[in-house]
Amino acid sequence: MIDRIWRFFCSVRWAVAEIAFLALIVLIGTLRGSEVPQWIADAIPATQGIVDVWYDWDAFRSGIFAATLTLIAVAIAVCTLNRAPGIWMAISNPTVTTSRGFLRNAEMSARYTVDQDEQSTIEKFTQALQKHRYRVITRKVGNDTHVYADKNRFAKLGTFPFHLALILLLVGGIVGAEFGFRDQEFVVAVGATEPVGHGTGLSLKLNEFIDSYDPTGIADRFQADVTIFEDGKEVKSGVINVNHPMSHGSATFYQSSILFAAQMTVSDPYGTTIWSGPVDLGVFHMTGNEDAAAGFVDIPEAGIRLTVVGPDVNPGNAPELDTLQLKSGQMWIQVQPLGAAPGAVQSTNTEFPSQVLDLGVPANVGGFQITFDRETRATVLQVANNPGIPIFVIAALMMVGGLVVVFYFPQRRIRGMIHAAPGGTAAMFAPLARRDWSGKREFAHFVTNASDLLGSEPVLKAPGGIGDWAAMTHPDEPSPARQKAVG
Amino acid sequence: MEGLVKLSFYCFASASFSLAAAMLCYIAFTVGRVRLQHAIMTTPEGTTISASRAEFSPAPESFGGFGTMLAWFGVVMAFFAVLTRTIAAGHLPISNMFEFSLTFVFAISAIYVVFERVYKTRHLGAIVMAIAFGMTLYMWMLPADMREVNPLIPALQAKPIMTVHVSSAILAYATFSVSFAAAVLYLIKINRNVSWLPGADMLDEIGFRAVTVGFPLLSLVLILGSVWANDAWGTYWSWDPKETAALFTWLVYAVYLHTRTLRGWRGKRSAYILLFGFAAVIFTYYGNYFFGGLHAYGGV
Repeated sequence: MIDRIWRFFCSVRWAVAEIAFLALIVLIGTLRGSEVPQWIADAIPATQGIVDVWYDWDAFRSGIFAATLTLIAVAIAVCTLNRAPGIWMAISNPTVTTSRGFLRNAEMSARYTVDQDEQSTIEKFTQALQKHRYRVITRKVGNDTHVYADKNRFAKLGTFPFHLALILLLVGGIVGAEFGFRDQEFVVAVGATEPVGHGTGLSLKLNEFIDSYDPTGIADRFQADVTIFEDGKEVKSGVINVNHPMSHGSATFYQSSILFAAQMTVSDPYGTTIWSGPVDLGVFHMTGNEDAAAGFVDIPEAGIRLTVVGPDVNPGNAPELDTLQLKSGQMWIQVQPLGAAPGAVQSTNTEFPSQVLDLGVPANVGGFQITFDRETRATVLQVANNPGIPIFVIAALMMVGGLVVVFYFPQRRIRGMIHAAPGGTAAMFAPLARRDWSGKREFAHFVTNASDLLGSEPVLKAPGGIGDWAAMTHPDEPSPARQKAVG
Repeated sequence: MEGLVKLSFYCFASASFSLAAAMLCYIAFTVGRVRLQHAIMTTPEGTTISASRAEFSPAPESFGGFGTMLAWFGVVMAFFAVLTRTIAAGHLPISNMFEFSLTFVFAISAIYVVFERVYKTRHLGAIVMAIAFGMTLYMWMLPADMREVNPLIPALQAKPIMTVHVSSAILAYATFSVSFAAAVLYLIKINRNVSWLPGADMLDEIGFRAVTVGFPLLSLVLILGSVWANDAWGTYWSWDPKETAALFTWLVYAVYLHTRTLRGWRGKRSAYILLFGFAAVIFTYYGNYFFGGLHAYGGV
């Protein structure tokens, strides 16, 4: 049973099936983010039900996706353990001896008859091979000298770091998800300081936000000038922009986007300030009107939640939805008891006191004196800690390095036999290059060099007849097949 | 700067005409000459029977030679188009689909002429140049304002990594175009046994070698994209559709490389996988038109 399971995980056929299945899930998940499934449903109405399920199913967070990844990871590990000893043996202690049958039946071979003694023939062949950077091992068995030559023999090991890197990538992802954190909307208004949380002891103050736009209105610079505090002490200052995050301790801050904020002051009826600060607008929007940015802040000192809605930024779009009809410089506010549901902002809701405020003009709302001081801005940062990053970097290097070694430095091997013959020496060589055209071409170059050194032309056997051989050794001339056809 | 942008466009126009002409020459070279043979026979009863058949023979070498010359001219013009636009923009032209396609046209034609030189075969040009020409047609159809050089939006202001990430993608897709062409010719060779096409072994080899060049490059694209995503978006993988489409393409070619070791999966089946792989490349390349996500900027 264990042997069957082991063979299952080592099977290349099953590996192909697993990778293909994973590719299918990835394709399904990718198309989910497009209109392609709906096009299918529009063309074949009977598939609408399946398409609805398709849009609902998050393939990348499904159990089947995780199970397939796990299966492939296990298969990689088992296959690596299975192949490693054989590959290492082939590198360190290759089989040197060959057989006449192999050389005769090889797809490509070269047979020499040389009028020199056996020893100098062996030396010249060795010289020709070493000129092409082959390692040469010879072994005398009876009357025959067996020759084994290889180069880039360590290239085969490149497959191991590549495959192990795939497992490491998964490990890095799991480590990051389990032991890290990511806050995608860390909003800080200009002049405000916000705690990072997550046990970091860090807080961040936005000193200034700098943005600029090209004549077409597209942003060409987004920069947050910030100061980081740790346990109340300033530890770092600098600028965060989109491709230049800032790190300190266990947190990294990434520039994400920008929001506007309303600087508000809440005072008691006697004018004593209870609270003053920014209310970030744009995290929410007015119910029924997406163009009216809204936000709220809980003020425990006053026992209230202050909700603020800004003017409609796109009055041309569905103007009937703009029930507040705020002008520039105005904010609509609502005072609710602390703990009210967020985002439930209704201009017609008369349960809680609400009012339109003009810039700088205090108003009594819900028993408090509330002032809209000015408009300001807030930066939206992402804060993350991903302990899986070092694992990812190592995996990335292993992956690319392994691929480069395997594909750009392929292993080449040549086998041969040399023995004394009447009048001199006989030799026969063949490459291990089945379905490897480049390997055959390299063998052809070796044969050419060997022939020059020995002063003897071989009897050649090449795939597809002599025409292909000519194309390999003299690539600038048209092949005889073409010459015959055109002539 | 405006002058350089105009010069870049004129070089692109020259390249597109040259590649079109190269494509025609290569197609003529690959398809060969067609002779219609008529046979007329009169029966003893006086009835006349006629029959005709098409006889194919190789085209003259000169067609291939002209194709090569025109392809090289197209490569040089495309290179100057990319160079002048780079100087004008201050960065490699890869920030919108017009620029990306311009660089891709250069890459695909350059990669093709390298393979032609290494393998001494011109027949792949019929397909690869058709892809390059098709790409130039697509560029002609893009809105004219995409030809203008605009400042990079903040998300793209990461020149070193953007250059290497996008360049790797372009080179990977270009080499997969060559593997696609090799697969098509392989299937024609196997099914029709056209004598003047390269041997099936060589076509199989070219397809494999192209993938061995492109697959590491595509791996680099995914890796560098993840590194850049971590700096720009705070996470190195966010299941963005363009990311997952590239991953799908990578998996298809991973299947191909594994099937190379399977008996019975070489030859025809491998060729079909290469065709499917190139379809995945096209799907990823034009993905911006199908899905939004974090890669949907730069106009298109």
